[in-house]
Amino acid sequence: MESASIPVRPTRRSRGEVAREYVSRFGLIAILLILPVAYGIQDLQDEGNLSRLATNIKDGLSNGAIWALIAVGYTLVYGIIELINFAHGDLFMIGSFVSYALIGTVGLTTATGNFGLLFGLLLILVIAMVGCGTLNVMIERVGYRPLRNAPKLAPLITAVGFSFILQNVGLLWLGGSHHGVPDLIESQNDFFTVLGVPVTHGDILALVVTVPLFIFLVTFIARSRMGRAMRATAQDPQAARLMGINVDTTISFTFLTGGLMAGAAGLIYALYQTDVWFFSGFTAGLIAFTAAVMGGIGNLKGAILGGLIIGCLQQISDNRIGTEWTPVIVFAYLVLILVFRPQGLLGEETREAG
Amino acid sequence: MSAMTARARAIKPPERIGKIKMSTIFTVIVIAVAILLPFFYESGSGFMNDATVALVYVVMALGLNIVVGFAGLLDLGYVAFFAIGAYTMGWLASSWFSKEDIHVGVSEILNNQPGIHLNWLIVLPVAAIAAASLGALLGFPTLRLRGDYIAIVTLAFGEIIGRIAVNSDDGIFGIGHFNLTNGRAGITPVDKIDIPLVDRFTTLNLRPWYWTALALALVVLFINFRLRDSRIGRAWIAIREDEVAAISMGIPTVRVKLLAYALGAAMGGMAGTFLGSFYNTVNADQFEFSFSIFVLAMIILGGLGSIWGVVLGALVLSFINTNLIPDVLNNVPGKLGLDFDLTELGFGIFGFLLVIMMVLRPQGLIPEKRHQAEFAEVLEGEHDVVVETRA
Amino acid sequence: MSTSDAQAEQDRLNAGPAILETQYLTKIFGGLTAVDGVSFRVPARSIVSIIGPNGAGKTTFFNMLTGLYRPSLGSVIFDGKDVTTKRPDQITALGVARTFQNIRLFGTMSAMENVLVGQHARLRATVAGSIFRTPRVRREEREAREKAREVLTYVGVSDRRHDDAASYLSYGDQRRVEIARALASDPKLLLLDEPTAGMNPQESEQLTGFMRKLRDDLQLAILLIEHDMKVVMGVSEQVTVLDHGEKISEGEPQAVRHDPRVVEAYLGKQG
Repeated sequence: MESASIPVRPTRRSRGEVAREYVSRFGLIAILLILPVAYGIQDLQDEGNLSRLATNIKDGLSNGAIWALIAVGYTLVYGIIELINFAHGDLFMIGSFVSYALIGTVGLTTATGNFGLLFGLLLILVIAMVGCGTLNVMIERVGYRPLRNAPKLAPLITAVGFSFILQNVGLLWLGGSHHGVPDLIESQNDFFTVLGVPVTHGDILALVVTVPLFIFLVTFIARSRMGRAMRATAQDPQAARLMGINVDTTISFTFLTGGLMAGAAGLIYALYQTDVWFFSGFTAGLIAFTAAVMGGIGNLKGAILGGLIIGCLQQISDNRIGTEWTPVIVFAYLVLILVFRPQGLLGEETREAG
Repeated sequence: MSAMTARARAIKPPERIGKIKMSTIFTVIVIAVAILLPFFYESGSGFMNDATVALVYVVMALGLNIVVGFAGLLDLGYVAFFAIGAYTMGWLASSWFSKEDIHVGVSEILNNQPGIHLNWLIVLPVAAIAAASLGALLGFPTLRLRGDYIAIVTLAFGEIIGRIAVNSDDGIFGIGHFNLTNGRAGITPVDKIDIPLVDRFTTLNLRPWYWTALALALVVLFINFRLRDSRIGRAWIAIREDEVAAISMGIPTVRVKLLAYALGAAMGGMAGTFLGSFYNTVNADQFEFSFSIFVLAMIILGGLGSIWGVVLGALVLSFINTNLIPDVLNNVPGKLGLDFDLTELGFGIFGFLLVIMMVLRPQGLIPEKRHQAEFAEVLEGEHDVVVETRA
Repeated sequence: MSTSDAQAEQDRLNAGPAILETQYLTKIFGGLTAVDGVSFRVPARSIVSIIGPNGAGKTTFFNMLTGLYRPSLGSVIFDGKDVTTKRPDQITALGVARTFQNIRLFGTMSAMENVLVGQHARLRATVAGSIFRTPRVRREEREAREKAREVLTYVGVSDRRHDDAASYLSYGDQRRVEIARALASDPKLLLLDEPTAGMNPQESEQLTGFMRKLRDDLQLAILLIEHDMKVVMGVSEQVTVLDHGEKISEGEPQAVRHDPRVVEAYLGKQG
């Protein structure tokens, strides 16, 4: 034994704790699998193949990609300031409205040629993303920053307030009913079929937009200076400050990132579902938040994974049980996760955990 | 130390005139005014309508105040208890279950109608118990969660109850084929409240309604005051302040929190029975998330945990909702030469108020004397970010 | 104290009933063993100190005694009853009270109200009783308030301060109120977590005198975590040393002080 340095102790986890960790993680996976497995078995019995379930899952992944984009915003913000940004779902809705309006302004129609369409949509994507990103930053500046030291209830209420304001903006903008978006990409047309499962233009759109964004995000957070700053601030703001990180700027940047993703999600949603509605943000927000929690709040990859999983569950529920019951099922999952395994599938990465 | 914090330093003994406390005199005056108020208005007037509704909101706000204000549990799903109370009234005091034939304590006319018709005075405790049970049940999973997760879980429960209300016109979850709630169409008509020895409750004569709501509000107010200054009230506030310290002082936090949920829920349920009868309908459109926020806003506006503050907050917001926005503000755009309907802005204005309130005066109109200290420091920016370490 | 006196003292302590006893108490967090197989006893009506370098596991140990943490292994026996799996409020009701390292008063409540909360387990008022303010409840509240004032005065908080909001009291007064709050539950064992932190030598001196007074007046056993060696040596009848979660020494203060293992733990190996 040498100096006063603390010797490394052999690590031993009590058997009880190890067991509990496994049980809860596999328990979560198990209850997530109940619906698909049950309906899979039913399909095999009824039709002899799994193509309906596979289609459900394929649709679920596409929808899920949209939820994942929104979930990223929730998870990054919660990770860094432990705030549930209630207004985030409605930000997505604004993104979809902006897209809808710009489609009209730019003059894209189903008759537009492919090249024009590509260029136009890319332009709209950028505008929607930047618009929502900026809006998110403004909301943080006005509503959350002044309340950073207040009891948690305060910014939560402000968030709800902004949610209502944004919903009203949507209501005034396009009224209370659903609005059809021109089916620019012919979202229901099949591109090709894989193992009996039709893959539509809409699916490809979701894939083509979200995958690069996710790759970019993950790399950015992992490698870039700002990404490091974000992770450091999430773990320990005091220490981050002491290391010379401008916490305020980092937080603003986090909101910007979340907003950018929400804007992108808005455009994809508008084109994929060919529908926009002022109230879509509320449900989308709760679904995306469920996704974020399911994957592990604060955990970026978790949000992406959670989004995809929730998308599948939602699709199965819509298709088999009925769309009116889907929110109940999603919320039930949310409650179960928060109560029994709040760290989600991949584990939390927030102040308390870190 | 600034003047504000110096004032907040001591929790002063009550001021008195002779042997009677100022606050007692104040209370008596307020109650007297409330009782005599109807005599200054037409008994069927819009004002009486709004005033009655405002009193019911006072009951709900006081109930939620126990959960959020005293015990510090962020409940965003309070609408669920309003719903349970209202549906209990709808089921037990209307012709809904027309195959049954049960009548207790109701008038001649109702005696001849099919369905279950119980007197409101019987439905009231039934609904209170049902709501209390639901409250404890829904509160139970939240016991080990931290603040914002409690908010989300209770919100999810509120939504679940709301969706069940909308969808249960053809079985539940696709099981069964009975009509429980009639979805958005709802259960209507609902029996009018009928208290023996009191004038008939009709749509034209609102005075009995008003006084009944007032009585309910006074009872709930009384209960709140008594509990706040009691052993259980101190336990709630201790839990709100520092749960670890509270449990270390011997407070059985599980029981105490469940009690808060149950009592708050019971009050919401009772209010629900009244409104079910008053509105003459119980339908799923009444039970949306925004309702929970509306009641929450009342207690925040009034001052979390402050009983009179909450009463004031409830009266103010109820009045704005039923009166100011539709009647008064609606004329404003026209007068300014603008062309839109302000009722469409109701939501947004409400959201705007919430933001303004939290950023400018989070402690509310009549802050709980204790919270004054807490928020004073936030507003004066006396602290840098303090990362608290908790066991 | 001569060696034979010290030995006699040790024998007296060991022979008497233990108010608290732990057997192989262990706490493992994920990969870290914070407390490792500590067996330990506190004789009734004695003052015992737990010392050790920072990170030795002392507060974790305390938290297991009061039920805030569930032990991974081992047991805790208080006043003859096994309390290993009991909740903190149950343990407090049985007669254990504590103060915290970072003072944890209910800041927006007055000193008086804090002490009333301390009595929660000893009061019997029910919801119905409180709503109707039955004579029994009224009497109970009155007596509780009188007792609260007595305890506050006993610990040295001046009358003028009784109704001040706790967060505005001076540091010294806050510490006193925390002790008063702990005493309010009529404990048999008082756990003090670094009670002299932030105190100057005179205040520490006063506190040690006060601890002896508590032990003698109220027949209390006191268990302290302390860093101030003067206090530890001056007031303890028994000292237990923890290092890296293990008990490395235990006994009469002077003996422990010169134990080479203890010296090494604090200072590193000499030569």
